Amino acid sequence: MRRDFLKLCGMAGLGLACPIGPNAQAFDALKGKDEPPFDGPYYIVFNASGGWDTTYLMDPKGVGDINRLYKEGDILTKGNHKYAPIAKHIQGGMSNEAFFGEFGNDLLTLNGLDYSVNNHAPGARYMATGKLDSMAYPTFAALVAACKGPTCPLSFLTFGNYSATGNIVAMSRVPYLPSLQKIANADGIEGNAKSPYHDDFALNRIEKALRELRESRTVLPLLPRQERAESMLYAAQINSKSMQRVTQHIPATIPKERLAQQAEIALASFKAGVCVSANLSIGQFDSHVNNDPDQMKLIPEFLAGIAYVIRRAEALKIRNKLVVVIQSEMSRTPTYNKQNGKDHWSIGSIMFLGPRIKGNRVIGATDEKQFHVPLNPQTLAIDKAKGIRVRPEQIHEALRQYAGIADHGFSKKFPLGLTEKEKLQGLWG
Amino acid sequence: MKAGLMICVSLIALGWLANPGRAEESTSAFFEKTVWAKVGERTCLKCHKAGGEAEESKFVLTDPKRSQDQTETMRHNQSVFTKIARLETGVHQSRMLQKVVGKLNHGGKEVLKADSPEYRIIAEWVKRANAMPVAPRPVFVDKNAPPFFEGVVMLDDRRLLRRVTLSLAGRLPTEAELTDVAKNGLKALPKILDLVMKEDAFYDRLREGFNDIFLTEGFDDVPENALSYEHFSTTRGWTQNHDLSHIKDEKERRQAGYKLSNDYRKAMLGEPMKLIEHIVKNDRPFTEIVTADYIMVTPYTSRGYGIFTELKPKFKNPDDPFEYIPVKLKALVGRNRVEDQDSTTGFYAHAGLLSNFQYLKRYPTTETNRNRQRSRVYFQHFLGIDVLELAARVSDAAAVSAKFDNPTMQASECVVCHKTVDPIAGLFQDYWKFEGVYGKRKDGWFKDMFGAGYEGDTLPPKERWRALQWLGERTAKDPRFAVAMVEHAYYLLTGRKVLQPPKELQDPLYDAMRRAFQEQRKQVETIATHFGKTGFNFKSVLKDWVVSDFYRADGLTTLAVHPKRRTELEDLGLVRMLAPEQVERKVGAIFGQPWGKLNDQMAMLYGGIDSKEVTERATDPSGAMGAIQRILANDVACKQTALDFNRKAKDRLLFPHIEPDVLPGTSPEADAKIRQTIVHLHQRVLGHYERVDSPEVERSFQLFSGIVKDASERKGIDPRENYHCRSNLPGNASADPKYTIRAWRGVVTYLLRQPGFLYE
Repeated sequence: MRRDFLKLCGMAGLGLACPIGPNAQAFDALKGKDEPPFDGPYYIVFNASGGWDTTYLMDPKGVGDINRLYKEGDILTKGNHKYAPIAKHIQGGMSNEAFFGEFGNDLLTLNGLDYSVNNHAPGARYMATGKLDSMAYPTFAALVAACKGPTCPLSFLTFGNYSATGNIVAMSRVPYLPSLQKIANADGIEGNAKSPYHDDFALNRIEKALRELRESRTVLPLLPRQERAESMLYAAQINSKSMQRVTQHIPATIPKERLAQQAEIALASFKAGVCVSANLSIGQFDSHVNNDPDQMKLIPEFLAGIAYVIRRAEALKIRNKLVVVIQSEMSRTPTYNKQNGKDHWSIGSIMFLGPRIKGNRVIGATDEKQFHVPLNPQTLAIDKAKGIRVRPEQIHEALRQYAGIADHGFSKKFPLGLTEKEKLQGLWG
Repeated sequence: MKAGLMICVSLIALGWLANPGRAEESTSAFFEKTVWAKVGERTCLKCHKAGGEAEESKFVLTDPKRSQDQTETMRHNQSVFTKIARLETGVHQSRMLQKVVGKLNHGGKEVLKADSPEYRIIAEWVKRANAMPVAPRPVFVDKNAPPFFEGVVMLDDRRLLRRVTLSLAGRLPTEAELTDVAKNGLKALPKILDLVMKEDAFYDRLREGFNDIFLTEGFDDVPENALSYEHFSTTRGWTQNHDLSHIKDEKERRQAGYKLSNDYRKAMLGEPMKLIEHIVKNDRPFTEIVTADYIMVTPYTSRGYGIFTELKPKFKNPDDPFEYIPVKLKALVGRNRVEDQDSTTGFYAHAGLLSNFQYLKRYPTTETNRNRQRSRVYFQHFLGIDVLELAARVSDAAAVSAKFDNPTMQASECVVCHKTVDPIAGLFQDYWKFEGVYGKRKDGWFKDMFGAGYEGDTLPPKERWRALQWLGERTAKDPRFAVAMVEHAYYLLTGRKVLQPPKELQDPLYDAMRRAFQEQRKQVETIATHFGKTGFNFKSVLKDWVVSDFYRADGLTTLAVHPKRRTELEDLGLVRMLAPEQVERKVGAIFGQPWGKLNDQMAMLYGGIDSKEVTERATDPSGAMGAIQRILANDVACKQTALDFNRKAKDRLLFPHIEPDVLPGTSPEADAKIRQTIVHLHQRVLGHYERVDSPEVERSFQLFSGIVKDASERKGIDPRENYHCRSNLPGNASADPKYTIRAWRGVVTYLLRQPGFLYE
């Protein structure tokens, strides 16, 4: 039977790529065993949708006409981090001062990232997948979910941003936290586990019949889409049983803030061991008009959302398993337009935080005109003569290596095309 | 070096002379499968085409998507490629090879790296072109490849009929239809489809399917605000002043007011998709979605436009909020004269959806966006082109931005797209103010972007007042329009987009992916051609897709194990997870009433869309969706099993030939009845036609008899059906002394959890 399941997995595009662990878990699911909770690491990708102004965050300039709210001399530091002073310009949320003060020691910043394009859709796709010219590639969040937790019922959660799955994992959208409660006990009337639809012996026979049906289908000559769909459907229903673990982690009160609401759903799912990764996103960063007021409203909201997640993860005792990627699909120009806005700019930054990521570090740079400065991928030092442009491919390659999935079959199915010389060495410290 | 080249060329020439047929074939094949597919179409065509940045060069290709003769187009492009490949600069310096790396003042700068696979392809082509003594041969056809559908099993006609009636009309086939198909096979389908496409349910599905594409229900405002205050200040809020004083009870009056407002808003939101319904229902050319000189209004929405009084006699029921009729609006009159609409005819310049208030409102513009978003959406919706997918990597986008005063008109990296996108944006220029419905920009249209036009044609100034009609007329004639509509129909039927050409040249499965793409493309083009011949009757597109091998593919004769063959078949077969609305309709068709719970939050959790932020339906089930499927199966079986037994036998949908007192294992006759009932259930719930002795019937039989047996061995079992499952039954209908009703409920639950029910 195990061999049959592996065959089933393979046909569904899961097999050859499935590492032993998840395969074994899926096999147990087929046998009707409870799925053990996924134990991390958990990945959250925060996206500042629309294009953030990095010069008001982790890559401050204050020279030329780049920033109107501060001058070069006003730039603040926390350890090795430099950041823009914004505390006195914001109305709510979290200032850079507070954010870097609290998390700077854990934070890795990479400046001078070449997003390579100036349009939202391709930029979002490129940053999410590491591949500019393909619609078929999965996002990193989807890829790591497929590799690490293919049987988790909410393996890949998304709340927006580019969320392609590459057809290797199902995407879950959970718009409201209470909706999880409604489906947690699917075999109980109105979700009440004590009031089952079927007597236990009847339900066992139904499950047995479904299992036998699934097994019988694996030997039939089906089309690849049929194999995959039937496999995913069966897994979804079986694995849904573990949804009941989520309810105990749903907070009594639901926060009002956009990111915090998304975060609670993701964190409850992480804590319950039913989720591997989540895309969290807030929009409206596209500040073509009145850049500074917009960015001073959104950056603090964004940072507050990140802080909320980290603090809640601490409270839930999963912070040491939480990996956070903080990004946007583009940056803003070094000059203001006629409407006091800033247009699209293709050089920007990305930040990381998590276990095995050495914090208090800043890698790469932009120059005084906000152009990228070449980086030596071996030493991670600025190297104007022999350095290269760091593009999303390099980031994704590093993330795949960090997650231990670079050699996974799914990753190989979606190659990033980098030579060894182009890969960033020791990014995580 | 020179000697080496000569040897190479000589060998190629020798090969050609020795076996001219093979060499001719291999040259055309090499061009189509490699040069064109991997470089020409993806790289050169972006600029080197009519209307492109390099349209005035000597190297002008034809876009196959804009041609109705693919063979001739490929021949032409091969000829152009050959001609240019033979040009040299200096001594044995290929002009083509220098151009692609950015030399010789190539307008597109460096488009290929000298060490790239694409460059090597062009280099090989240059060699071959110089070795060819004659004009290129027609397009390559690999005659040795087995037929694409070899070994693919097609859905039998009865199941195809069920698939179609459920998909398009939300119902099971009638006995008459089944008889017709049993007698006449596939030939019966077009006639049946003609009748299906007259049913109201078909138009519900049509509107739902096209809203999945155009998303017009998702504009971000109250619906009546699609009508600007400037032009409809006294009419758009008519519900607030509507006299309801004849309703004496205050609470009732308030409720009536809410209903009035809700119906008005719903009717207003429905106008764009009702236009599509009107066109299809009346067999009008589907090109009217970009050319119709009318909009659809109801008694309620016409009040918003201020034209109800004059239209009132035309409505069958002037009190029906949802009776839609076509109407041509007069040119808009502003509160300020400067906001009066330009019109030489005195009428609003309707151009189907292009000028539709709700469509414009759904895709608004901004001072910085300059209608480019609309242009992008236009290309996607009406020509099937994702212009942002074309976005090429720029070696240094920031440097380009900084180097030019106006990169979109000066930097070749930007011009490649903007020369196509900006003219369309310009055609929308007078739909600017008031959040993008009609209203001119105060300072005139932008001078620092390519002017209004269409694929190289400039909009004549005298046509500006009707610029969107001008656009619609050209769109309707563009071969890409028909293809895009055929692709939309495919999306409507399958829930997924057509295949795109593969891009990973190094992928060992590239050829297999390319073949799958080409085979599907051939089908798309065949249907598009027929679409044109029918006068753009959209029903013909649906009918052609339904009988195509792509829609009917349902299995294989033998397991496909070779990776190349598996790749070719990867996208074949409908295998569509039903959307929440479709699940509800299917439950309704099978059980006589929908489940009624897959709406709002639950629908979103089940992969539905809100047409605003969530615009793509989930295609694979997550664990959360798996949980919902379990709930649905449990709950529907619970509500329907005992209920069905409670009906008279002749009225039953599920159990017309058996009573609850028939127990398994008591007699051969009893077992036969149970098996026949199982056959009926498999057919009704799953659409599977099983024999009484099939393994699937046996599995269901074992499930039923096993539950009955377990119950008989369990002490303390309630002799009645579960309270929740009997609460909708009258009187004493809850008795289940032998547990058979609950066992049948188990069988129904089992069936409802299967792909045969949850997938299409």
